[in-house]
Amino acid sequence: MKETAKLQIKIIKIDLIILSVLIIISFVFLENPLIWAKGYIFGGLIGILNFMLLAKTMEKSVTMHPAKARSYASVHYFIRYAIVGVVIIIALKADYLNALAVIIGLLLIKFIILFTNLFNNKEYYKRIFKRKGER
Amino acid sequence: MEPITGKALVLACSAIGAGLAMIAGIGPGIGQGYAAGKGAEGVGRQPEAQGDIVRTMLLGAAVAETTGIYGLIIALILLFANPLVGLLG
Repeated sequence: MKETAKLQIKIIKIDLIILSVLIIISFVFLENPLIWAKGYIFGGLIGILNFMLLAKTMEKSVTMHPAKARSYASVHYFIRYAIVGVVIIIALKADYLNALAVIIGLLLIKFIILFTNLFNNKEYYKRIFKRKGER
Repeated sequence: MEPITGKALVLACSAIGAGLAMIAGIGPGIGQGYAAGKGAEGVGRQPEAQGDIVRTMLLGAAVAETTGIYGLIIALILLFANPLVGLLG
């Protein structure tokens, strides 16, 4: 966690802030707030742990031989994929969790990455309309 | 032989749809592996840039995973919480 520690902490902090805002919104506006809140907490925590696992995998894979790194990253991707699968099955089966809240919690960290690193960059919008040779 | 009911047809088609949706999970796996291999090559060529390479790879890999998860969600909803069966009445 040495090279990516700052980045991870920044993204996780934003994730936790947005999760708490979502939980507060669910308590104010929704009929069954506890089910939504549990879903946000469950999905959000698994999303954060998945992101940390991804960071660990990436840090380790760059120190390996390229051929070994390829298979290592792919195998670890499928392990994370299986974890997400189990979480979604639990969310769909369990009555005490809202499936939509779990899915939002799981995917929230990915949207945060998009909004903090890509959509806030003006150059990105300018480059969309430029041809490949002009860049 | 019993005739095929509407519910059975919907369930069978949902199972096929779930299987097709799971194909979406293969792409990010291949892509992430390819990116990791290229990242390892880059670090081997320029070891001082390891931090930058890992950070960029981490952000790219996290976003790339999203499409796979979308496919997984669709497949699992079709299997475990199928909304189409309820429409039959």
